[in-house]
Amino acid sequence: MPSADVVVVGAGLSGLTTAITLAEAGASVWVVANGMAATHWAHGGVDVAALPGTATSREGVGALASRPGHPYALVSGDLEPALGRHLRRLEGSGLPYRGGLDAPLVAVPTALGSLRRAAIVPAGQAGATQPWRGERLLVVGIRRFRDFAAPFVARNLARTAWPDRPAEVRAAEVDLPGVGARHNLGPLDLARLFDDVEWGTAAIAAVRRAVPPGGGWRLALPAVLGLTRHAAILRSLEEATGGAVFEIASVPPSVPGLRLFEVLRRRLAAAGGRLELGNPVVDVERDAGRVTAISVAAAARSRRLAAAAFVLATGGIAGGGLVGNRDGTLSERVFGLPVEAPARANWFAADPLGGDEAPLALAGIHVDGQLRPMASDGSPATDNVHVVGSALAGMRYLSERCGDGVALASAERVARLLSGETAAAAQPGAEPPVRAVA
Amino acid sequence: MTFVDAASRDYPPFSTDACIKCNVCTTVCPVARVTDLFPGPKYVGPQAQRFRTAGPSPDQSVDLCSGCGYCTRACPAGVRIAETNSRARAALVAQRGSPLRNRLISDTDLLQRLGVPLAPLANLGLRNPLLRRLGELLVGVHRHAPMHAFARQTFRRWWRRRGGATVVGQHDPASTVVYFHGCAANGWEPEVGRAAVEVLERNGFAVIVPDQVCCGLPMISNGLYDGARRKAQRNLRVLGDPARRGYRIVTSSTSCGYTLKAEYRDMLDLDDADTRAVSEATWDICELLLDLHERGRLATDFGRLDRPLPYHPPCQLRSHGIGTPAMDLFGLVPGLRATDSDHDCCGAAGTYALKKERWQIAQDVGRELFETVRAAGAPAAACDSETCRWQIEASTGVPTRHPVEILAEAYRLRDAGPTANGARTIWRS
Repeated sequence: MPSADVVVVGAGLSGLTTAITLAEAGASVWVVANGMAATHWAHGGVDVAALPGTATSREGVGALASRPGHPYALVSGDLEPALGRHLRRLEGSGLPYRGGLDAPLVAVPTALGSLRRAAIVPAGQAGATQPWRGERLLVVGIRRFRDFAAPFVARNLARTAWPDRPAEVRAAEVDLPGVGARHNLGPLDLARLFDDVEWGTAAIAAVRRAVPPGGGWRLALPAVLGLTRHAAILRSLEEATGGAVFEIASVPPSVPGLRLFEVLRRRLAAAGGRLELGNPVVDVERDAGRVTAISVAAAARSRRLAAAAFVLATGGIAGGGLVGNRDGTLSERVFGLPVEAPARANWFAADPLGGDEAPLALAGIHVDGQLRPMASDGSPATDNVHVVGSALAGMRYLSERCGDGVALASAERVARLLSGETAAAAQPGAEPPVRAVA
Repeated sequence: MTFVDAASRDYPPFSTDACIKCNVCTTVCPVARVTDLFPGPKYVGPQAQRFRTAGPSPDQSVDLCSGCGYCTRACPAGVRIAETNSRARAALVAQRGSPLRNRLISDTDLLQRLGVPLAPLANLGLRNPLLRRLGELLVGVHRHAPMHAFARQTFRRWWRRRGGATVVGQHDPASTVVYFHGCAANGWEPEVGRAAVEVLERNGFAVIVPDQVCCGLPMISNGLYDGARRKAQRNLRVLGDPARRGYRIVTSSTSCGYTLKAEYRDMLDLDDADTRAVSEATWDICELLLDLHERGRLATDFGRLDRPLPYHPPCQLRSHGIGTPAMDLFGLVPGLRATDSDHDCCGAAGTYALKKERWQIAQDVGRELFETVRAAGAPAAACDSETCRWQIEASTGVPTRHPVEILAEAYRLRDAGPTANGARTIWRS
């Protein structure tokens, strides 16, 4: 039977980050996943915390860490090193990000023409986080690309309460070479076209022609500016148009998310980790409170993988790690861990479209300081299983915008624990290191 | 014949209801990556499926699907997209019929019955640019399609001359395996079959090679399910009994292996004791050898092979869900520096690359892989599936071998000498 030091279940941000950090520390790591994850759906930025009334992520983390039961109450002390490691990792792989824990949370436009608050974004979106100094915003759409309607985005932005806003918002639509024939133009198709040097050059020229005279324009385009040549395309566009250019993440598949996933995937492979997709876990073997092996589905017969430790990174309800049952309970899919959740009658918000997040978002696995699942009596349910990311109980990742920060901090905690660099703060019974951040 | 209950949860098209339209499948599709003729797995799978009723199918672009299966494995919602698409193609073929070309190139048993006895002549014909142009015009097989030369002597004939067993008697199931060579290792690449047998014997297995026909995959991927079911039934009649008696069935083609393991049920709806027994008994040869190694029983006295080896794990292998056992085995050979190609697909997809209207798509799919293989500067590359090997070899000029041929060479088993010698495909003109 194949065996590894650590088996990680789940290939999203938390799972891949745990796996890379462990593999780079010399552990043998297998990542098995039942398909790809939220990286492909999200905007590609790093949401650490964006609470109403806070100016920076650090303030938000401090507030969340003081809430008993919130994942940050356990792992906020790991956030700063985790974030540093993550951003260095991405920068070192040619995907630089901008911002940090103390960067101001600013309003960034979405593909709906609404605003979301962000402080750490890919360099391609950094143009949206710079203060507006009397510049005008030109939202550039691409004709026949149905996932991004520039006039709609511009109209919505123009009437949105936007604290620090452009002097004017206008829309333009450009015809890009040859796209008329494509009957299903998605963001990925456009990104791949941009990666073609010749096509990309023609496309950049077309965008330049759409910029109204007079100067002082900042350009927003849908996030389709290349996968492999992204940085160069962005630079050429800025040179050609004479102003800052930024991407607005569009509907899935998210091109910024794909860039992120690809960097993480390659880092894991380079560190000797294995990643296998399409392998749902079908069986778990235990011995005296420990998991000794899991079996993943494969053609003809399942395949057993033994490991000294297991990391659960399967996400919450959206990611498929938790499933609702008809009787109003929730189950954790892989290890059958106890799930902490509101009563069935309180799953949903009274006014979901009014911005209330469903209390069901709080559902997840209740863990100890080593992020081991806890039984209802407070004892560890399983000794060598650790939970990272959105499977953790106690956060409202949509309204708190803390999902990526929790993913990275919990990944850091578990990776350091399992690679022997156990931080003093991670010892069971120790006070949660809230002060490190607050 | 017993069929899968169309109302059961296992019925692949039912899974399309779970689609959340996230487009993850589209991001991994090698065909959608290179051509806008194919709108991608989401559109031709779960989207179009809602409109597929008894009447004419609303979507013909599903025929562009190469069947690689990446979509199914990437889907976070468990939708069996590739399986659904294969069925949709079969329904199209049932409604509209199939061109003679597809019926011809998918009947590999027939091709070999015609081609092998006339091997020198047939190969001359396949190398003749004028005849290839004529073939493209009249039959629809692309003039540059990667084809393999017919063998002068089939694997089966070699096996009979060698006095090899063809009937399972009172052998010990623990140390005896049934070898399913498939069509490629019989009439096109008998050296793969010979290497497989020699490596198995080197590791203490007695090998039995029962009568068999093509696994049926070429017909499945051309939507010719009725013909494929006939092939399946013939194989199941022979393999069912030894499988139930505990013998392992070993394949040296990840494509045939996956068909025996999964597609008789997933695509052809066969669901009986023989199908299940054969599925559970089937092992890819590298999977078996690695399993042997993990039990400490693999002969590891490999000789040195001091060279780089670009290795491409074919998509059919990935559907097995067994990782890349060949890479682990290469790691046991002193001096051998194997590297995973890290590319999704070579484009061949069985008979896909043979078709005049698909050849260019297949080339575009494999372009980056070909560059990687060429750039490795190695005397030979490796890949577990036959048509992928031929596609890589014909498109790069780098001889491309089955992993077991490399292992046989490392064991110093093969009379044929170094595996790097010469390409065996019919060259593009």
